[in-house]
Amino acid sequence: MKKWKGFIVAGVIIILLGQVMFHIYKDPLDYNPESKDYYIEYGLEETSSKNLVTAIYLDYRLFDSFFEASLLLIAVAGIAFMGVKDEDLL
Amino acid sequence: MRYSKILITVSRIILPFLIMFGLYIIVNGDSSVGGGFQGGVIMSTSYLLYYFITGNHPFSLTKMLKIDKFLFLALPLVICASFVTRAELFTNVFPLDVSYEVRRLYLLVLNLLIGAKVAVGFVSLFYIFIEEGNN
Repeated sequence: MKKWKGFIVAGVIIILLGQVMFHIYKDPLDYNPESKDYYIEYGLEETSSKNLVTAIYLDYRLFDSFFEASLLLIAVAGIAFMGVKDEDLL
Repeated sequence: MRYSKILITVSRIILPFLIMFGLYIIVNGDSSVGGGFQGGVIMSTSYLLYYFITGNHPFSLTKMLKIDKFLFLALPLVICASFVTRAELFTNVFPLDVSYEVRRLYLLVLNLLIGAKVAVGFVSLFYIFIEEGNN
């Protein structure tokens, strides 16, 4: 029974992956211009940033930038914890 | 540790320009290429040049981690301030009808905060790695 369980799980995974691959294969390869058009049309007046990259990372996707910055703090704290071995540091 | 005289001399020449370049990239982040993350990393590399020149650390690691934590506290306060003024989270503090020059200030402050945070984070990483290499 244990042997068959592995085969069933493998079969289910293969079928699911096949479904995903099939949908990716059917998807036509072209850009979705909706967000691009929106950013170009309203980016400057909504965010007042001349640089569209800054408009996205400091206004439309600000939460993303925030968690990116928090990730850096966690990485530094982790490396300090492992590398320095000082109890008073953190 | 003593480094070669060529490296020290070149570092002495480059160091002020590198700090200025990092600041330029952070401050001009909203009107040209660049921004807080890139400028912060450039600023933090100037710390390596400082270490090449003098051979010791200007700050202690405890102080830098403390500054990092305070900057991390300041960041959500600035980000969520728009909830008070515009009733929207994660966007500009100033309403849409305020002039461009004033609204630009918010981006400048955020870029400076993120730049400072990235710079302090990377400087503490460099500090730890240099100390590990020396021991």
